[in-house]
Amino acid sequence: MNSSSTELYIISDFNLEAFARQIENDSAQPQVRAKSAPHGQVFPSLLKAETKASQQEFCLVWTQPEGVLPSFRKALQLQPFAEQDLWSEVRHFSDCLKQCCSRFRAVFVTSWALPSFQRGYGLLDFQQRSGLRRLLLEVNLLLAKELESSSGTYLLDSTAWLQAAGSKAWSPKLWYLSKCPFGNEVLQSAIRDVKAAIASVSGSYRKLIVVDLDDTLWGGVVGDLGWQSVAIGGHDYRGEAFADFQRALQTLRRRGVLLAIASKNQEEIALEVLRQHPEMVLRLDDFAAYRINWNDKAANIVDLAAELNVGLQSVVFLDDNPVERARVRQALPEVLVPEWPDDKTLFASELLRLTCFDLPQLTSEDASRTELYIARRQRESAKGTFASFDEWLHSLHTILVVEELNDSNLPRTVQLLNKTNQMNLATRRLGEAELRQWLRAGNRKLWTFRVKDDFGDSGIVGIVSLQIDGAEAQIVDFVLSCRVMGRRIEEAMIAVCLGHARALGVERVRADFAPTAKNRPCLDFWLGSGFAHDQDKNSFSWDLAKLYPAPPAVEILCDDPALLRDRESANRALAHVLPD
Amino acid sequence: MTPAIANYLDSIYDSLYAAIRELNLQMPKNRQIPPLPQTALFGDNSYLDSLGLANFIVLAEQKLEQNFGVTVDLTQDNPFSDESGHFRTLGTLALYTASLLKAKNRE
Repeated sequence: MNSSSTELYIISDFNLEAFARQIENDSAQPQVRAKSAPHGQVFPSLLKAETKASQQEFCLVWTQPEGVLPSFRKALQLQPFAEQDLWSEVRHFSDCLKQCCSRFRAVFVTSWALPSFQRGYGLLDFQQRSGLRRLLLEVNLLLAKELESSSGTYLLDSTAWLQAAGSKAWSPKLWYLSKCPFGNEVLQSAIRDVKAAIASVSGSYRKLIVVDLDDTLWGGVVGDLGWQSVAIGGHDYRGEAFADFQRALQTLRRRGVLLAIASKNQEEIALEVLRQHPEMVLRLDDFAAYRINWNDKAANIVDLAAELNVGLQSVVFLDDNPVERARVRQALPEVLVPEWPDDKTLFASELLRLTCFDLPQLTSEDASRTELYIARRQRESAKGTFASFDEWLHSLHTILVVEELNDSNLPRTVQLLNKTNQMNLATRRLGEAELRQWLRAGNRKLWTFRVKDDFGDSGIVGIVSLQIDGAEAQIVDFVLSCRVMGRRIEEAMIAVCLGHARALGVERVRADFAPTAKNRPCLDFWLGSGFAHDQDKNSFSWDLAKLYPAPPAVEILCDDPALLRDRESANRALAHVLPD
Repeated sequence: MTPAIANYLDSIYDSLYAAIRELNLQMPKNRQIPPLPQTALFGDNSYLDSLGLANFIVLAEQKLEQNFGVTVDLTQDNPFSDESGHFRTLGTLALYTASLLKAKNRE
């Protein structure tokens, strides 16, 4: 077990030691070290104060309904019980989970399930108010609602694990021998999902699908058949399967996953299908970028990732051709290349089965990500018509909207903290609960930055946090999405932050750079920021006796009068040094 | 050993070894259980603790059912006796299973 493995604390009302052993020895990333609370001690374990919270710790709470809900146990034996008692028990369980959540980076809770041999009232089970299946749906729904507002708590669907294991899901013999009711196949499915959940919360989800065209997005080779004759939609089982695969891709696009094309084809011929075929589900605007040429696909993928500012570790490549898959696997090991079925009717289900796209939060920025990239493409293409970079920046009419951290921008803030690599000063990875906790100290502030321009609203793309200690302050986090890097947003963010520090009487502001394998662009920015650089400490500082010049091409909107005053004086100062 | 039982044995070992391989998913790399007839399943020389043994029993019964199409209960007949228990080794378990299957065939 390596030292970088993640800790998972397991709380259960049955024996999950086999799960703990298996997840520790499972070679798939992330590596996990498991520690089990004594089984059957669910509530004491949830409330136990001495379990130390650390940034690496996750918690899995896997219970059976009869193990934590006494009224459900009565229902299971068809004994009378008060419904109100059952709802109170669910709420109590949920309150304990919320308390537990403050000690962990994230808590994963499995939904409740019943073995298939539990038939309750038989034929009438769904119709009886106290029917087991009906109660199961109701308690799961109530639990989901209760946990809806609890950041850092995630419900995992155990039903999917049981369905995958079929008749081997529940093993009465294993229950009597070891006090674990679930067969090995259930545990293996659970391990897959728990690892995906850990990866997701840690920011290791994939955000770009690069897809082939011929025999992947549609049936047949367009260069041979012409756009009218490729198989897509219509009254043909293959065509319907390809249309469903496209719908599955579109579903992921709506969840914030970018789509791109890498195809060996003649560009104009291939694009005709996307533009003209009446049965196509996906159109050109669904794709953030494309490379349709005869070049090596691995090289095209590198190119696409660079254009979209996405790391290769965020890319998934889908191609029906095993040779192309092998080539990309060999050339780009960071790219996920799933084995792809020969049977076209399985494409959609294989795609939807992948867990690597699971996001811990879905923000409005995710839902409109493709549009943001298309707007960026238009912005970049307009760049060539201007004589200078600053002239181009002015033409964009960029507006930076500054907001302090609040409930509505918290999920996006945490997403930026956990996902941003390149422009990230400290690369702190924090969950919602941890960030709230950190900000509880009265001397800390965090602002979010939303960028808008003539091409659209990029959403919240940056954050800065500041810790003030008397006359000194430290910029702790300085994070900016690569989507807007290099457009003077960086300087505007610093100007806002320094304005606030000055208003509070701070005399000097420091920023400590923590190097990682990926944040060199951040260092380059700070080296050119005008801050004094202490090479030994990798620290940058600014004396607030001087105003920090805010970039004139970025209009800053915020509701803090101190910041606005500071910006006006900065602009006045700047007017003296800038040429007309 | 009769020829009929000898024919069974290869398939029985296949089933038991498949169970061992699946159980090894729970075992650290340096404590993998060797799929060999002399591998001890309980007692001082065993690789398995009680939880591992419980899991092995269930996995072995599942694999045997897959391969032979009949359910078998391996926990009958004083299975953990030091002198005669059929869980002493994979080899003794295979022989016991062969006799169970033969009896099932006769039913």
